[in-house]
Amino acid sequence: MKPEDIIELQPPKLGPMENIFVPAILAGLGTTIMHLFKSVGGNTRTMQYPEERREDMPVLEGGMDIQKYRGVHRLNRDEQGRVKCVACYMCATACPAHCIHIVGDAAPWADREKYPIKFDIDELRCIYCGMCEEACPVDAIELTYEYDIVGLTRQEMVFDKEKLLAMYDKTAARKPM
Amino acid sequence: MPTMEVDGQMVSWEGKKTILQACNDANVPIPHYCYHAGLSIVASCRICLVEMESPDPKDPAKMVKLPKLTPSCQTPAVDRMKVTSKSPKAVANQKAVMEFLLINHPLDCPVCDQAGECYLQDYSFNYGRAESRFEEDKIKNPKKDIGLHVLLYSDRCILCTRCVRFTREISGSGELAVFGRGAREEIDVFPGKTVDNPLSANVIDICPVGALLDKDFLFSQRVWFLKSAASISPISSGGENIFIHHNHGRIYRIKPRFNADVNKWWISDEARYTWQFVHENRLHACHRMQYGSFVETSWERAYAQTTEDLQKAVRDNGPGSTAAVLSPFASTEEMFLHAKFARSIDPQAWLAVTPPRIDGQDQVFKNPATGAVTFTIRAEKAPNRRGAEKITAHFGGNACALEELAEKIKNKKVMAVLASADPLPGMDKPVLAAIGAAPTLIALTSRHTGLYEKAGLSMPTCTWAEKAGVYENCDGRIQAFQQAIDPLENCRSDGRIFWDLLAHEGTHSAAAVRHEMAAAGLADYANVAIPQVEKPLEVMEFSAL
Repeated sequence: MKPEDIIELQPPKLGPMENIFVPAILAGLGTTIMHLFKSVGGNTRTMQYPEERREDMPVLEGGMDIQKYRGVHRLNRDEQGRVKCVACYMCATACPAHCIHIVGDAAPWADREKYPIKFDIDELRCIYCGMCEEACPVDAIELTYEYDIVGLTRQEMVFDKEKLLAMYDKTAARKPM
Repeated sequence: MPTMEVDGQMVSWEGKKTILQACNDANVPIPHYCYHAGLSIVASCRICLVEMESPDPKDPAKMVKLPKLTPSCQTPAVDRMKVTSKSPKAVANQKAVMEFLLINHPLDCPVCDQAGECYLQDYSFNYGRAESRFEEDKIKNPKKDIGLHVLLYSDRCILCTRCVRFTREISGSGELAVFGRGAREEIDVFPGKTVDNPLSANVIDICPVGALLDKDFLFSQRVWFLKSAASISPISSGGENIFIHHNHGRIYRIKPRFNADVNKWWISDEARYTWQFVHENRLHACHRMQYGSFVETSWERAYAQTTEDLQKAVRDNGPGSTAAVLSPFASTEEMFLHAKFARSIDPQAWLAVTPPRIDGQDQVFKNPATGAVTFTIRAEKAPNRRGAEKITAHFGGNACALEELAEKIKNKKVMAVLASADPLPGMDKPVLAAIGAAPTLIALTSRHTGLYEKAGLSMPTCTWAEKAGVYENCDGRIQAFQQAIDPLENCRSDGRIFWDLLAHEGTHSAAAVRHEMAAAGLADYANVAIPQVEKPLEVMEFSAL
């Protein structure tokens, strides 16, 4: 770095009114009180989760964009219902959290060369960045709109191939491939 | 030294070289598929075509420009030549060649094992075009099993004929050939033949694309995950230079490492596929015999018992009643410490070396056309017999062959034996027959071998991939190897064990032992060149050229 690259930033000079902070505090308090009165009439932004869910609301009213949300992964199926993944390890390579564990093997089908015999995603380790989705050359891995997953053990939160395929079956209707 | 200008860079070379060879040596990149430094030059792939100007032989002051593009792999380099591989004409040719090669290529990189070390990928990125203009259907060829280790995917092939030339010129077996003509041309084996010569798997390495793949490595790991360690073959006395490719403490494959004086670009299939023992049948705890059954014991107790047992034998039977059996699979440093430890307890301890297995005769491969020797597979199946002999000679005193030791054990002259076991399956039979009857038998063994069954005390040791050291090959060449993977759970290398037993200060390392050896008079070990792996994964050829 050269000296001319360094830009020194000075904080803006404060006037006397700004220096005592009271007007700014009052203005902020005003916003709070305004919202307090607004909510009394039932006009509230609070959602009654889990009775109300964002995925059921229109996007323009603060609902979830189901096609774009980055929740739990799924493994897509091809037209014949087989796992679409070809075990190329691109997602595992792109994954910044190293949460995808694949074991590939020769496919039992004549028209396919390779498929995953094991495909585990550690949903606890995952940071839901969507890099796997972007790296996939065959659009086999996708993130769904599901976010409220629970498990009693850490092991339960490592989703295997069957669980990820089941997630596809569950979400395919609302989020087509 | 003659000098030419290539793409604005000055390239010098010595002796007779083609343009491509000189550029490769000077690290000036010119793309090439069919050229391989170890094979004859055919100039068939046409991607190395360059534009060139050379001095007129009649009037050396005048430069003559060749009107056509010239194959740089085949054209001899001449002093003051001007070569360009980046002119519009040369670049147009590179793009055209790439487009032609990719016309029938299935582009199945996601499932192809070559992806990551593929010339087609690299050159497509560097010299190719992004999209294909080919709209017709691609020719599809099913994969074909053509040999013991080799799979052929014809539709990925670019017909560089490196494999064909290898079988004709190096292995001399000539199983492969180009069949058909024009668009139907393809590489195949002759009917009824398979690629099963003892060097067959080298065709996988030299294949620049994913047309020839290794059955053993197939689908087991993507190459960009692999880390590389420079090593020496643990099976052959030829000391073939290898890379161990490993990941997460597991070996995935072995590739040849170029050494002009030892193995050139090649290794035998035996050296390539003898690594499974590292992960099979391993021992993970010290065991001692107690009332007729094996009991797990700690390293501290095993160390104490080793010293105690040997000292007891010397006390009861006088000096010369113990023996150390050195394994030709151990590194020279380990044998040095082994012998040193044995002699520190019993100054007249017998030193014996396990004789390595000899498989018939050396197998010599010749180029059928020229008669030149291209490769030799040594009959002696142990990497370091020479080192063992050197150590035995260095320590002098009582030394004997294994049969003599057996005799001494039978006659109750030798009561305690500290033996280092050979790791490979079935190789410890002669040792076992010779020393199995010793009243006190302490074994250092990495695997569940016969010696482990007989030993009163056994300690789990490391295989060659888990330690560093030097081997001396059959020609007396001392070659160092790097540690590839961490020692498996609870295992310690022979060297570490003897380092601890000798109560040496500091941390054990092969370099520290070599230092000690040099100080003790083994001057050869003062400055052993340690092979380095610079790139995370080195494709054999890039390191060779």
